[in-house]
Parts: sequence; C-alpha cells; structure tokens
Amino acid sequence: MPVASTISVTGLSFTYAGSAPALQEVSFDIPAGETVGLIGPNGAGKTTLFLCLAGVLPVRQGKVSVCGLNPSIAEERRKLPTHVGVVFQNSDDQLFNATVFDDVAFGPLNLGLHPDEIRQRVQAALAMVGLPGFESRVPFHLAGGEKRRVALAGVLAMRPEVLLLDEPTVFLDPRGRRELQKFLGDLPGTKLIATHDLEFVLATCRRVLLLDAGRIAADGPAEAILADASLMESHGLEVPASMKR
Amino acid sequence: MTLAFDALDTTSSPLARIDPRWKLLTLAPSLVLVSMLRHPWAVGGALLLTTVLLLAARFPRRFLLTRIGAVLLFLAPFLVILPIQSGIAGIVPALTLTARALAIVFLALSLVATSPFADILKAAQALGVPGLFTRLALLSYRYLFVLADDFVRMRTAIVARGFRNRMSRHSYATVGRVTGTLLVRSAERAERVAHAMQCRGFDGKHRAMNGFHTRWSDVLFSVIVVAVAAGLFAWDWLSRA
Repeated sequence: MPVASTISVTGLSFTYAGSAPALQEVSFDIPAGETVGLIGPNGAGKTTLFLCLAGVLPVRQGKVSVCGLNPSIAEERRKLPTHVGVVFQNSDDQLFNATVFDDVAFGPLNLGLHPDEIRQRVQAALAMVGLPGFESRVPFHLAGGEKRRVALAGVLAMRPEVLLLDEPTVFLDPRGRRELQKFLGDLPGTKLIATHDLEFVLATCRRVLLLDAGRIAADGPAEAILADASLMESHGLEVPASMKR
Repeated sequence: MTLAFDALDTTSSPLARIDPRWKLLTLAPSLVLVSMLRHPWAVGGALLLTTVLLLAARFPRRFLLTRIGAVLLFLAPFLVILPIQSGIAGIVPALTLTARALAIVFLALSLVATSPFADILKAAQALGVPGLFTRLALLSYRYLFVLADDFVRMRTAIVARGFRNRMSRHSYATVGRVTGTLLVRSAERAERVAHAMQCRGFDGKHRAMNGFHTRWSDVLFSVIVVAVAAGLFAWDWLSRA
C-alpha cells in the first residue's frame, strides 16, 4: 500500500504577470514525516514554489495537494495555515508586532482560539525554540538568530504538519546554525528546506529536489545528487566542501 | 538596528499602572475641555494641574526637555508677534496661548506616553477604533524604522563611493533615485509582509489580545481628571458670561 503523500505536486506551472515562467511542470511527492532539501541557483523558483504550496499564489496550472487540501479551492485554502507553516528568509518580514508574545500569538489569534489556549501555545512554542521568558521583548531588538527563532515559534504555534523553510540558515552564526540543525532533527513532521547551504542539506536531509529555471532537474538521495559534480555545476551549484575531501 | 516600541522608563510611575483604555477615555474629553479654555486664570489652573500629572509620570528629564523645547519653538513666533502687534495688551494673550498649548501637551504626554505605543493601539481598538487603523498605525510605525535603516545603509553605500550632497543636478538626481529605490523596496517588503500574514491565517479581520483589567483606581483617576477639566471649563465659561 503506497504511503500517503503529505505534499503532492503534479505538473505545477506558475508565471508572474509580465515575466518568464517561474515554475514549469513541477512534479514531486513528499510522504509524511520526510525532510527534503530544495536546492537550486538564485531565481530557480524555490520561493515561488513555497508560496504556491502555502496557497498564497494561485495555482491555475497543475495539481497541488498539501495535507489533503487543494490550494486552488478557496474553502480548503483557508484551512492551509493550520497545516502548513512557512518560515521566510528574512525574519523582519515575519515580525510585525510590538512584542514577541503578540508576534507568536498572531497565528493562533487568527484561528479564533481561546485566549488561555493562545497563551499556552505561545509559551510552548517559545519553549520549543529555546526562548522561554521572551514574551515581552521587542522583536526588532533581537539578534539575528533570536529573530529567526521567534519567527519559527510564530509558525510552530499554529502546530502545522508541514514546515516550509526558506533559507533558514541565513543570518545565523555557526552556533545558531548548529542549534537549528539539531532542532529540525528533533522536530517531527514533514519539512521542505530551501537553501543554498549545501552542508546543511547534507546534515538534515536524506532527499533533495534540485530546481533550476522553474523545473525539477533532479530528485533523489541527497548524497548522490550533491556528489554529482557535473549535475551540480551545470545548475549553478557545486559539490559541498565536505564531499570533496 | 531598528528602534521601535521602546517603552519609556516610567514603569515606576503611578500613571504607567493605569489601564490604557481609561487613559484614552480620560484624554479625549479632557483635551477638548482644556483646549476650549480662554480665561487666563482657568488656563493657568489647567497648566498647573497638568504639570502635576506630568511630574507624576516621572519621565526622563531629557525626554521632557526635548518635547517642551519643541512646543516652545513652535509657539515662539506667537510670543513675539502678539506683543509687537498689540503692545502690552498682547502679552497676556500670548502667555495664555502658550500656557494652553503646554497644558494640552502635558496632558497628552502624561496619558499617552506612559504606556507602550502598542498598548495604546490595543486600548484604542478595545474602545472601538477599527482594527484596520490600529494595525496600519502599528505596521507604519514599525516599518518606518526599517525604512530608516535602509536609508542609512544606502547613504553609507553612496558616500563610500564618493558622493557628496551638493547643490548640483547630479546630487538632486541621486537623492531622487535613492528615494525612488526606498519606495520600491518598501512596496516589495509590504508584499512579503502580506504573504507572511496570509500564511499565518490572516483573513482581513484584525484581532488583538490584551491583558487589560479595570481597577477602581483607573475609574477614579479618570473621573477625577475629567471632573477637574470640566470644573475649569465651567469656571471659564461662567467668568466669560
């Protein structure tokens, strides 16, 4: 019996108005619980793919199913935030409230939860990311790594089954990166990580999707794809340093 | 580094502990009543009482002096022009005008600046101000500082490439391009923020959680301040009648 796919994409294409196609016939399946790396050069379409999966960009060509929900259907698209969490590249774009508490509570508030449950979720989410007691802090004064963790907490408070992380290691120092790696390793659920940090992909993902010019150029075991020098170089990437030794 | 939402160091003041909703409910009628005072004695009384409030707020000295200085700078022309225009008879109206303006500023500072900006917005929303306005105010205030950061970085970059702001066509064109770039970046950032809000279930309804609890002291404070303002107004009106 085939394993149910948490993310199922078939023939997805997307074009921004007045631009070249950002995604072309993208197809892949990700079963529940898998951590997959999404790699590719700048402008490959990684962020566009995430926005389509999260239901932010309309899917007009192709079929997308995330946790059984179809983002093309308005009723189902509204339910997506409880199932899919997106952590964006720039944490400042996700931190738009006055306090850490307000920021992390933003999502649960939109779900219409009871204030007591919201408080409980905020505390639990902050504890998960290692920032207990940060409720009254001003997000914009936090260090880069702390901002990233608050942004992550804001998504985790929604309790999504699927996590889409866009360049999660950007602005992180080596310690922050190690902590994030450990955190993601311990976190259950399905994860799709878009990143240029190929060492991070090697450490966290067993499978990789290589996206270039809006098309899936490769889909397979992370070690095999990342070690393929000609494949990597032909798509604007390179073999990670740790694999060259 | 963005600078936003820093609460002033007034946590030890009694005014900081008052429910922001009651402070806003006090502010509106009191401001209207004080602004309608005309008699010099009534205005003087308002100034005295609002000074007491200001002292109770325990603001940092520098914060107070800069704000009072800004108000006096704005009023300076009137302090000069009225006496010149009307001679000695112009001095009392000039001083009354100044005193009334200061009383209004002291009142507003005491009631608004003793709570964090975000709490004031939540209080306003709790009192019926549409969530759209408070959300826009919050976002505008927050991202104004991000914009300022962007501007500082761009300015550093152009100065590092030898740019000097002079009265020249090149300078004007550069300033124009920098401004245009900031606007475009702001628009792009706004789109990203909107996406982030959508991903966390934002559906256009503005919800806020506040931990406000009304105490007897909040109600008493509000009643006393409004009553005093009303009393001054009544005295002022009767003395003019």
